[in-house]
Amino acid sequence: MKSCRLLLFAPVLLSGALVRAAEIPALWAERVKAVVAVEFYVESESERRPALSYGTLADDKGTIILPAAAVDPRVAPDQLKDFKIHRAGEAASIPGTYLGEDNLTGWHFVHADPKLLSGLVPITAFAAKDGAPSPVPALAEEVWGIGLRNKDEDFMPYILMSRIGLIQSLPQRSAIALHEVAAPGLPVFNRDGVLVGLATSSFGQSYLQFSRPDRGASPVILVNVEESSVFPLAEEVLPYLGRIPKSVTGRPLAWLGAYGLEPLDPDVAQFMKLDSQGAVVISEVLEGSPAEKAGLKDRDIIVALDGRPLPRLKPSSVVVGYVDRELARKLPGDQFGVTVLRGSSERIDAKVTLGDEPKLIRETSRKYFDRLGLTVREFVYGDAVALRVKTGELTGVVAHFVKPNSPAAVAGLHADDWIREIDGVEVKTFDQAVGRLAAIEADRDRTDFVLLVGRGGETAVLRVKLK
Amino acid sequence: MKSATVKLSSSRSIFALALVCALAPAHAAVSRGFSQLLDAVVRIDVREVTFEEGGKHFSAGIGSGVILTADGLVLTNAHVASPRAVEINITLASLEVVGAKLVGWDHWTDLALLRLDRDEIRRRGLKFAHAEFGNSDKLFAGETVYAVGTPYGLTRTVTRGIISNTSRPFEDPHGIDGYETGSFNTWLQTDAAINPGNSGGPLVTEDGKIVGINSRGYAGADNLGFAIPASTAQPVVAGLVHDGSITRSYIGLVPGALRDLSSFYSVALNVGVLVNSVDPGSPAAKAGLRVGDVLLAINGQKVDGRFPEQLPPIQNLIASQPVGAALRLTIKRGNDTHDYSVMTEKLESRIGEEWAFEKWGLSVRKISRSDARERQLPDETGVLVIGVQPGFPADVAGLSRDDIIMKIGQQPVNSLETIKAAYAAYEAKPEPMLLEALRFRRVSLYILKP
Repeated sequence: MKSCRLLLFAPVLLSGALVRAAEIPALWAERVKAVVAVEFYVESESERRPALSYGTLADDKGTIILPAAAVDPRVAPDQLKDFKIHRAGEAASIPGTYLGEDNLTGWHFVHADPKLLSGLVPITAFAAKDGAPSPVPALAEEVWGIGLRNKDEDFMPYILMSRIGLIQSLPQRSAIALHEVAAPGLPVFNRDGVLVGLATSSFGQSYLQFSRPDRGASPVILVNVEESSVFPLAEEVLPYLGRIPKSVTGRPLAWLGAYGLEPLDPDVAQFMKLDSQGAVVISEVLEGSPAEKAGLKDRDIIVALDGRPLPRLKPSSVVVGYVDRELARKLPGDQFGVTVLRGSSERIDAKVTLGDEPKLIRETSRKYFDRLGLTVREFVYGDAVALRVKTGELTGVVAHFVKPNSPAAVAGLHADDWIREIDGVEVKTFDQAVGRLAAIEADRDRTDFVLLVGRGGETAVLRVKLK
Repeated sequence: MKSATVKLSSSRSIFALALVCALAPAHAAVSRGFSQLLDAVVRIDVREVTFEEGGKHFSAGIGSGVILTADGLVLTNAHVASPRAVEINITLASLEVVGAKLVGWDHWTDLALLRLDRDEIRRRGLKFAHAEFGNSDKLFAGETVYAVGTPYGLTRTVTRGIISNTSRPFEDPHGIDGYETGSFNTWLQTDAAINPGNSGGPLVTEDGKIVGINSRGYAGADNLGFAIPASTAQPVVAGLVHDGSITRSYIGLVPGALRDLSSFYSVALNVGVLVNSVDPGSPAAKAGLRVGDVLLAINGQKVDGRFPEQLPPIQNLIASQPVGAALRLTIKRGNDTHDYSVMTEKLESRIGEEWAFEKWGLSVRKISRSDARERQLPDETGVLVIGVQPGFPADVAGLSRDDIIMKIGQQPVNSLETIKAAYAAYEAKPEPMLLEALRFRRVSLYILKP
């Protein structure tokens, strides 16, 4: 069937396709050795959920990269348990260790003992040889990649093949194929077997559609989560394979403190004579942030970074991702040149000394109280920003999880409620809250306790009955 | 016209049936008072303007009302006749139709007062009766009451039921076309059938005295209707006659029922009300009141807010203080009891003035002080987009409902006048115009192009 189709196309598009087609099974058998299936568990208070992702071997030291979508960003690294790595087509697994997420690529890194990975080949083995630039596939060029079947079929590898429909900066240079070409996180090759890219999460294939402002009118589309048709090009992949996070939290993370970056609409850009480049509006400059210290203001329009004008990307919303990536290349303490327009005519070159990203929700301390049915976590800078309260004094704790039908749930507590007082006494720190809740939980004679919580702009007093 | 005649005759026959059923067991209802009441009930047809979907639109509705005075004051619901009304026609008991004007409205109690066109009445020699208020405070659950009105356009329909509950608390922050209602009064609940169109008609006792103004019912439920008590309506009527509006005070304290928390706060049973929320930037916040405080007394007058039914009267006590007066609030916090002085402000609705800019296909509502507080905006700058018309400049620029326009050109939008002036300039000479708008705290720029 497949060869029939190739035969049909051969005279028109690819002279010599018949000759090369015969090589693909051999190329495929060799390249399957660069991919693995990775199983792990996401553990929470009430459940242990299995997860499956696909990975590509990045080097010969046992480093495996998983696509950004492999892990929910709200999940804390210590909730990820029991990584198991399967070779394509093998039921047996070897243990792996989670190394963290790289902020720039979004990849999750996993490590396994290289001795146990013997016989596998890093993806670099299939890059362009002798320092030659990575090939950029041409429009309509045929590309192929690897998919993996599910666990019940021992993650058996299979081939996917399609043609290039479009190459676009999103903001990474990415190819969009006509059909699925690889499982997300797995490599894509050209007819010669040279690496041309790494498939991104399958959400990418609907990226353009989802980026439309009038999404309401778009039809609902089914996303194939096991296969993808979008892949950042090899030039966006190979230079970053070594970005193994220095810590499981992904730190160090550079912090600018410009909240709500909004792209300039093309009509507005034209009106402001910025139509040859990109621009983003800073909705708010956060309190105490490096951006504020460097003199940036709410509603400044960023037009250049480190002296280079922002590129004109399509759709214009992609430029926000560009700014985020430029920032992610930096480290805390680095200088970041941010050129902004202010008001109708002012142009300001700000030199920002980047800071350390304030503690993220996924890094917060947490404590679960089973009898109360509640997990509390630290209240962090991001919570204060979301609630629009002063970021200088971070008090109280957040209900991170409320167990259904537990005393806390029956009292009306919701996840994300901000707990300000316990039994009428203000909660200043996480440790205080944990101390008081632990005492309440341990006291079997307690009949009830009272929480003062904030929810959005409102507050409520909740009485939690224990008996 | 023909269908209208059919409608009228059929409604008459229903009326007759209802009267027969109602009167057979209760002869007191054929009192002179009751028949006078029937002659005072009117049908109200309202045409009003709305500023939705980027344009001015007109909609029509039917309600009920009752004539209160010989000079033609008609009481109805605020959700029947509001300042948006452009044409009001009243069908008298004689089936003659006469025009009317809005005297004033009060969405907080869902009441509006109209006046019949006196010149027209005199010229045409029209006659009508007027009804009197009864004492709604003396009602008891189980007492027989009648609802009179225009359900589904069936003019002069009488239904009978009982008072199901004399003080039902029911607060709705968006109840009257988006306006707040029910914070300052409890409601009479009745099982007398109340349907759409009954709104604004009277709930009366057997002697024909008005004890309530029928207002709302649970859709889909069987005979769960609600009426504004006469004791609430009477002072509102007096205020509307006098000023055309009701002025209330605001301090930004949201009360909560203490229920079984009395022991936790170490207050005696049936004393105090919980401070459930304090509006940011409000007088109560400025005075230092905090959530979790217990309010014991207002100007020395003890308050009891143990149950939700008791909260509207407490809210009303605060609201009925003069604007700009210093209130002495006795507050218990922890083991300490202190007096706080809170300066009252004028109560305002969250809903600001609305307007439509038809060539832009844009309808807007001014951000009010309380809207700004609710949305945590720094001040009252801005107008809220309440509608855009597809294919018109505002829609093409990318604006959508719930965006807040903060600037037009380089001019902050401090009032509707700012944007009206920009629109006038655009009408005179259509040129691209730059807008700045907020969408969920995010700032975007837009171009309105001719």
